[in-house]
Amino acid sequence: MSNLENYVAAFTSTFLVDESVLAKLKYQDIAAWDSVGHMSLMAKLEETFGIEMDIDDIIEFSSFEVGRAILAKYNVNMA
Amino acid sequence: MKHIADLPVRVIAGCGLADLQNKTLPPYAPEAVAFLTAWSKRLMARPDIRAYPDAASFAYWCRPANLARLQRELGRDHLRMGRGVALHIAPANVPVNFAYSFAFGLLAGNVNIVRVPESLPVQADVLCTVANDLLTQPEHAHIAAITTLLSYPRDDIVTQRLSAVADVRLLWGGDQTIHHLRRMPASPRCVDIAFADRYSLCLLSGPAVLAAESKALKALIIGFYNDVFLLDQNACSSPHLVLWQGTTQEIEAAQARFWNAMQAFLQTKAQSPGIHAVDKYTHLCRTAILVKGAKAMPKKDNRVFRVALDELPENIADLRGRFGFFFETIDNDLAQLRRIVTTRYQTLTCFGVDAHVLAETVVSHGFAGIDRVVPVGKAMDIGVIWDGYDLIRTMSRIVATQ
Repeated sequence: MSNLENYVAAFTSTFLVDESVLAKLKYQDIAAWDSVGHMSLMAKLEETFGIEMDIDDIIEFSSFEVGRAILAKYNVNMA
Repeated sequence: MKHIADLPVRVIAGCGLADLQNKTLPPYAPEAVAFLTAWSKRLMARPDIRAYPDAASFAYWCRPANLARLQRELGRDHLRMGRGVALHIAPANVPVNFAYSFAFGLLAGNVNIVRVPESLPVQADVLCTVANDLLTQPEHAHIAAITTLLSYPRDDIVTQRLSAVADVRLLWGGDQTIHHLRRMPASPRCVDIAFADRYSLCLLSGPAVLAAESKALKALIIGFYNDVFLLDQNACSSPHLVLWQGTTQEIEAAQARFWNAMQAFLQTKAQSPGIHAVDKYTHLCRTAILVKGAKAMPKKDNRVFRVALDELPENIADLRGRFGFFFETIDNDLAQLRRIVTTRYQTLTCFGVDAHVLAETVVSHGFAGIDRVVPVGKAMDIGVIWDGYDLIRTMSRIVATQ
């Protein structure tokens, strides 16, 4: 699976949402993406991509789109 | 383990006391990390974990990235191993505390006997069930052989017998409990780490609260809520006192902005039981009688009770309330804080004031207390540096070569 596919899968499996809602999805937009959901997502992304995310990046990670830019810093590039 | 094999206890996870083996490990041993990360992963994967934010926080803390970071922070300037048997007496007031205590003991390389409260709150039960499940699997056999989570009705004989085999005792509880446990004999080189009753507070900058844009204000409110209401101020790190800095006008406006936003946020949360309101109201009356100059601040409903004081009495820590009861005062030069802080004071959360500068002030002015200065929202974040102890270093021993 490509990085983007893995990234999408992390969201859909953590929040149990359809891929179609992801493009505009932001933290706290849905019940599942509360602070606990956020911890689950961060842990999932770290595991999926074998990275350790910086606390500032975890705090800044506020949406699907913003997350893509943040992961690029960890050499997780999504075409 | 021979001397404790016959004790009448209920084993909740891990192996029975008769089968416990005295096989210590180095800090952050691969087997220990593997077990904790498996525990973390299983917990995070549960659909019901969202109902237990404290259990989720523990699981998040145990994730591979965090343990790797902690291991790097320990460094390798000395060759270390666990001290031996760590006996943990977990507190009743924080449901997931036993899990952190156990994790600290395990990461330090010890054999762990963890006494948990007899009646486990649901999230503690979830943690134990998942742990027990993992510990029955062959890949975690080494950890199972050095782990016993147990409970028993209060029994000094049992506690004494466990105490006698301990190389480290982690004692969590009120002052009375600590005194009682400490008096039980332990081996000459046993290290006691006592987590006694502590008191915590919050410092807010009026100008910063006023200048905060709505996203930052929302984050502040949520952070304060988490610090306080998740455990109804029952945890030692929850603030009971709010200090403000700024001019009188700035503070008045900032208080309105802060508490109104807090009220609005609380209204989105479930209604708390009537008995909490009664508890707070009773406490308010008690305070009015005991404290000169106490002024109840106007309130919209019963969720937050505030008492304003021009001058803090020395015994303010004895007057703390629960379920959302706060004393407030102004302390621009920290003169009040300097006057009242004792060894009981643990966590100072802050907003709009630099935590490092505050921490330096604690040291340079020789404050009798305050072990942590962290941003609002981080009060409950327990870690391997806690209550002023460097736990992994304290719970492991050095094998020196010079």
